[in-house]
Amino acid sequence: MTETRIPETEARLPASPREHLTSPVTRSVLKIQHRMLAAARELLGARGFIELLPPVIGPVTDPGARGAKQVDVDYYGHRYKLMTSAILYKQAALTSFEKIFFIAPNVRLEPLETASTSRHLAEFHQIDIEMADASRDDAMATAEDLVRHVVRQVVAELPHEFETLGRDTSEFAELLSAPFGRRTHADAVADLRATGHDQSPDAELDWAGEAKLSAKASRPFFVTDYPKGSRGFYDRESKDQPGMLRNFDLIAAEGYGELCSGSEREQDYATIIARMRETAENPAKYAWYLQMLKDGVPPSAGFGLGLERFTRYVAGLDSVWQASAFPKVPGIASP
Amino acid sequence: MTRTETPPGANAPRIRIFVVPATPLPVRSRPKEGILYAEGFPEAAIRRRARAGAADAFPSTDDYGQVLFGADCSVPADDHLDRLRLVPPVFVPQRLAQLVELAREPVYRDVRLETTIGGFRSAVPTYVSAFGSTEAASVALGLAAGRQAGRLGIPMVIGENVMPVNSYGRLEADAERSLLGRIRAYQSEALDGYGGVVVQQSTEDADAEVWNLVYSDPNVLPLLESGRLAFELKVGQGAKPGLGGMTLVGAEAAERLAGAYLLDPVFGGDRVLRSSSPGTFTEEILRQQIRLMRNNYPRARVWVKLPPARDVSAAAQVAWAAGADAVSVDGAEAGTGWAPQVFLRHVGLPLGECLLRIGRDRAPSDPSCLLVSGRMWEGARVAKCLALGANAAGLGRAALLAVDTDPDHGLVNLVECLALELQFLVSALGKYHVQALGPEDLWSPTPASSWATGIGSGPA
Repeated sequence: MTETRIPETEARLPASPREHLTSPVTRSVLKIQHRMLAAARELLGARGFIELLPPVIGPVTDPGARGAKQVDVDYYGHRYKLMTSAILYKQAALTSFEKIFFIAPNVRLEPLETASTSRHLAEFHQIDIEMADASRDDAMATAEDLVRHVVRQVVAELPHEFETLGRDTSEFAELLSAPFGRRTHADAVADLRATGHDQSPDAELDWAGEAKLSAKASRPFFVTDYPKGSRGFYDRESKDQPGMLRNFDLIAAEGYGELCSGSEREQDYATIIARMRETAENPAKYAWYLQMLKDGVPPSAGFGLGLERFTRYVAGLDSVWQASAFPKVPGIASP
Repeated sequence: MTRTETPPGANAPRIRIFVVPATPLPVRSRPKEGILYAEGFPEAAIRRRARAGAADAFPSTDDYGQVLFGADCSVPADDHLDRLRLVPPVFVPQRLAQLVELAREPVYRDVRLETTIGGFRSAVPTYVSAFGSTEAASVALGLAAGRQAGRLGIPMVIGENVMPVNSYGRLEADAERSLLGRIRAYQSEALDGYGGVVVQQSTEDADAEVWNLVYSDPNVLPLLESGRLAFELKVGQGAKPGLGGMTLVGAEAAERLAGAYLLDPVFGGDRVLRSSSPGTFTEEILRQQIRLMRNNYPRARVWVKLPPARDVSAAAQVAWAAGADAVSVDGAEAGTGWAPQVFLRHVGLPLGECLLRIGRDRAPSDPSCLLVSGRMWEGARVAKCLALGANAAGLGRAALLAVDTDPDHGLVNLVECLALELQFLVSALGKYHVQALGPEDLWSPTPASSWATGIGSGPA
């Protein structure tokens, strides 16, 4: 096999799990992450969300991860997948409860170019939220409240850890006091193109472009209305603006980039079938999900907030792998 | 059995529509070779079908694995491209320009053949197109074709059947058989800076995520980093437009594939027909699939393979507008794979007609890349296609026969001869780059109204 050639990441990868786990930086980061999770559970629990344990494998998983390979599992002779995200199961869970969340582990064998973005892990976790009868605005408001609540709690409770990390918590002043900004994807594309960055209007913001916009921001902001062809089949298409999706990303300030993706969900059976073809999926393998849609699921909106990315932003880390006790950087065989 | 229907309209007459019986009529048994005689009727064919049943829809299964299928090439009269002639002029202003540049009379070896094919630099305006799903395109021939295509500096397409049939090859013991084995064979002899590898994926093997796997594979990084990887979306193919890929598989393989494909026991015995679906496309589905490919694989090129369908031009326009780096069109003459005889004989547009339809809807200096395949093997047919707007021509059956003839040099020899013929032809037409060919270089014996504007016609 050809030797894997991975571009240099900004922060040097640890030589061993012991070196990583015993480093004072890692300990402070993991303490902050522990408190972030507790704060997230506090807020969501208080708002009536039920925490469910997420599935780890299934006959299908989220195909909406750009260019990432799913991990196949031989499940008694059936090809199963490790979850790239639990989106399909979140919709299913709403037949039981109106508001749910998972702290969900996800595995994505990302393209190798993501090894140098400082914000990709092959194995990561999401705070994964879904709300029945909710709009995109409801989901965005929840994401904003969640991020603000978590940051407020950890900054107040763990000053020593921030000091150890050298993270200046005054950077969060605007996040804590002002509403998050909003812009459309088209506006973000125009902004990037005006600076000479060749961003396609039909695609996701590329990694470099997203980092540029993030670096200019002093508090997190939402990007809305991504074009069809950049996302999975479950993001609902706008009725007023065909070709545009009722979705959003939350981008961190200071160049830390995307934290979260969410949308209103499509739940109409025939529309989903057409959208599956538009995303080159084979509907045959989604039998359980399609049957569920036929039987009816509530309209919903939700999002997945990347826990390690969020931790990286809060703790002010160079690379997202520093926010994981057992990091898997794309393409690098690690313990 | 009859059914009566009343069409809409108050005073419409009652129309009787005869409907074919839903169940076959009972057949009386007859003596072995029959006693009837039917002059002027394809009696032998009917008797063969009467004996074999549904299996007779296909070429003999005895030929499977040895014969390259595709349309019968022995009937040139049906082929628009064969009827065209390349006609050199007396007055040659482009030769004068070349004379000025060289300060000597230009000769055929001055013709430049290097061109861009779907985002790749290619030494010659040809590439190796995907082989059909037949055993004839065996592992050894596939590897030989890959090595020689690499050496020639021309792109190579790897068919959608390779990974499902022969695995990917990263963890398996017999890695050489695999998709990765094909890519390695190409890379091992690739001419620096030239060519590229194009990987197909069909609806069924979307489950196996061929593209995601290739795109995230460290082994493929050298191709990605040098901009020499493309993915080809297979909308359809030449030999059987409207149908999906077909192979004959043994009972054991059939069991493994049962979840993903239609398995049809038309032949009886151990051999089972494995069919892919043709996939469902609308303009919007095609547009969005291409956009998603560009979104998900920003460092790979996007090719789209179209069948010789009646709306081939509209589909090509959608593909280019959505950002495809190349559209490849398989004429009905094309195909190496297993196909029903009725499709080989009666279904799909000839390549010449595809080119005509696409040419009518395309601006004269359109920079989008059009690739064609179907019975390509020598210079004249390639030159005619280039004159009709194609940027390059794919070698399918010819490439397989070439490497079957000589596994080390067959394809190189074939392409070198094709290249020399192209240089002869292009220089005779007073031009010194293959891309300069145009409809003015062609003459058609049929009136111009039935052919592309700009082609000469009628008595010479």
